[in-house]
Amino acid sequence: MVIFRSHITRIISLLALMLASCALPGPAQVLAEQASADHTLQELLDRTEPGETIILPTGTYQGPITIRKPLTIRAEQEGSVILLGDGRQTTVTIEADGTTLSGIHIEDEAFKEEPAVLVTANRVLLDNLHIRTGAHGIAAREANEGTITGTTIVWAPQGIRMADKGNGIDLLKANGWRITSNVIRDVHDAIYLESSDDGIITDNVVENSRYGIHTMFSDRSSIERNVGRMNVTGAMVMTARHTSVKDNIFVKQSENVNSQGILLYDAHEIVVADNEVEGNRVGIYVEQSTGNVLEGNRVSSNFIGLQLVDASDNQIRANRFVGNVTDAQARGSEQNTIADNYWDSFEGIDADGDGKSDIAYAINPFFASVAQKRPAFQLFFQSPGMVFLESLYQSGKESWSRDASPLMAPPVGGPEAGQAEGDRSLTGWTGLVLLSCTIVLILMMRRRKA
Amino acid sequence: MRDIANVAVREMRMGFRNPWAYTFMALFTLFMFSLLVINAQDYVTGYSGASSTMLNLGLYLLPLMALMLGSFSLTGEKEDGNWELLTTYPLGTLSFLSGKYLGLAVVLLVIVAFGFGLSGAVGWLTGGGLEPVTYWHLLVFAICVSLFFLGAAMLIGTMARNRWQALTASVAVWFFLIIAWPSVLIAVLGMLPYPWIKPAVTVLTFLNPAELTRLYTIVQLGGGATLGPEYYEWVGWIRSVWGPPVFWAIMLIWVSIAIMISYLVWERGRGRG
Repeated sequence: MVIFRSHITRIISLLALMLASCALPGPAQVLAEQASADHTLQELLDRTEPGETIILPTGTYQGPITIRKPLTIRAEQEGSVILLGDGRQTTVTIEADGTTLSGIHIEDEAFKEEPAVLVTANRVLLDNLHIRTGAHGIAAREANEGTITGTTIVWAPQGIRMADKGNGIDLLKANGWRITSNVIRDVHDAIYLESSDDGIITDNVVENSRYGIHTMFSDRSSIERNVGRMNVTGAMVMTARHTSVKDNIFVKQSENVNSQGILLYDAHEIVVADNEVEGNRVGIYVEQSTGNVLEGNRVSSNFIGLQLVDASDNQIRANRFVGNVTDAQARGSEQNTIADNYWDSFEGIDADGDGKSDIAYAINPFFASVAQKRPAFQLFFQSPGMVFLESLYQSGKESWSRDASPLMAPPVGGPEAGQAEGDRSLTGWTGLVLLSCTIVLILMMRRRKA
Repeated sequence: MRDIANVAVREMRMGFRNPWAYTFMALFTLFMFSLLVINAQDYVTGYSGASSTMLNLGLYLLPLMALMLGSFSLTGEKEDGNWELLTTYPLGTLSFLSGKYLGLAVVLLVIVAFGFGLSGAVGWLTGGGLEPVTYWHLLVFAICVSLFFLGAAMLIGTMARNRWQALTASVAVWFFLIIAWPSVLIAVLGMLPYPWIKPAVTVLTFLNPAELTRLYTIVQLGGGATLGPEYYEWVGWIRSVWGPPVFWAIMLIWVSIAIMISYLVWERGRGRG
């Protein structure tokens, strides 16, 4: 039945397209008709039998709607169906298990508490939606095994402080969700899971939000192949266990004083592997966390590559630290296994030729403890005098966090750290201009003398 | 005004005949080049390991260069008897000092421009180098550090009787402001009550041009977040449109005060002489 319908839909939409291209004034009339018939969308839903598919014709519809029986709702033409919020209530409420909502633009731009889309049912599929929201974009409450895919969520109202914004996707006590290939921007937390286990969060792009991906009290999540840019923090795993954070890319989480690429806090048995973490304030930050594995990550051009605070029994190996202002800071984190990493600022000695240094790379805790005791001295971060002072401070070196066998050369494999593109020739030309000016000036001064 | 220009041009001529200037130019260019080689593979952008190293090595070399060239030039005038000769001309002390400052500034900036110019051009030709905005901020940094410390050099050159005193004082000032600064501040301010520390650090930072310029540049390079929550407002402020003009104004005031103090000291000496 569904297949049959979708065939018909295709034919209808083709016809509609042909008609529209023949008679240009057409679409305006369609719009007008539908606007007058706005109030009927909920009635249409109520009239439809459970399990049926509704193909919405192109046009603008007035929400809110509530889906109380399992339906499949699609746009006749992707992106051409606009559903407007009323500015007070949730625009789409899904209460029926197995509902599918696809290809619809939801414009719920008023700044309010109620989410644009609220899911309270199981196995719901939200596909190819485009949501402009002034609250949570999609919220799921005690609803399991849903899927959100190919969806774009963008914050709409201007001039709202980040702390007051809603989340892009907000799951509470919602287990087993798949969140894949979505794009979320300018919200509070792009993807937030609270007390929601077994989430699969892959291939999403999260930007300009507070936390890109934030899991709390949520176990067994997989966070893989996502891209985070310009958030306060890329991925934050808090009070969680058995989560995997793999193959993600987190760049430029650097504007905020609390920014980091990946943050583990009170997190245990997490695997953080093969991520690319570039240009953040702190690349990977681990606090009060145990039993985690950090492996094969490429940590480059961050202000601080790796920061450990009261973290123990973690394994940190085969990561590559390149071009960070300072590679690592550690405080109260002596009991970790750190080995076989590459630290580009460290010059080792490899006498036995096994590719690993015979002297350990020890992380000097001096600055970290000074700045922690008196934050005002954070101003001396990597100042020449501070670098000098740290080199003098060697007491208790045995107890510092250390990489016992740092690599002599960066581990092979994995793509090189992405290089920012800029107009290099501008630097070259500036250089040439400077050079020729100085030479002319010097010659002028000389000639007078001669 | 004409006097100032005359003194400045004379200073520039002397400066470009001075083998010291070329030694420093060679040293600075060598240093810029070695940084270029170290980062041959990397394209340097924003506040990163490479640009932080450049900042720090710049802070080692440029202040010392400015302090020595500046203070030697002034003490040289005294030692070689040029000043005695100049006093017979209708030339004001302030015009003399300002002219000296401007002339020396040109010499220093030529040294900086040569080093940056060559490394910028070669970096571009060899396919590595710096991203234009980063390059620009580092260039501005080098210029500012040079101009600030040339102000301090005028003070040292005024106070010192001869080149030896000038050398000793230059190295002492350099060591105190660049190397010992965090140690001294942490030791001394650590004894203050907690709420006084941040204001004290802030005020003292304005007195140390090396720190001031370094922090300004780090913020401009996008590394303000490293300074922590204590300085959040400062960072926002420096990055606003008002940041650069205010920083340049501070530099102007700082250098003017240095020259004015030099002038007063110099005048007192003149009165007695």
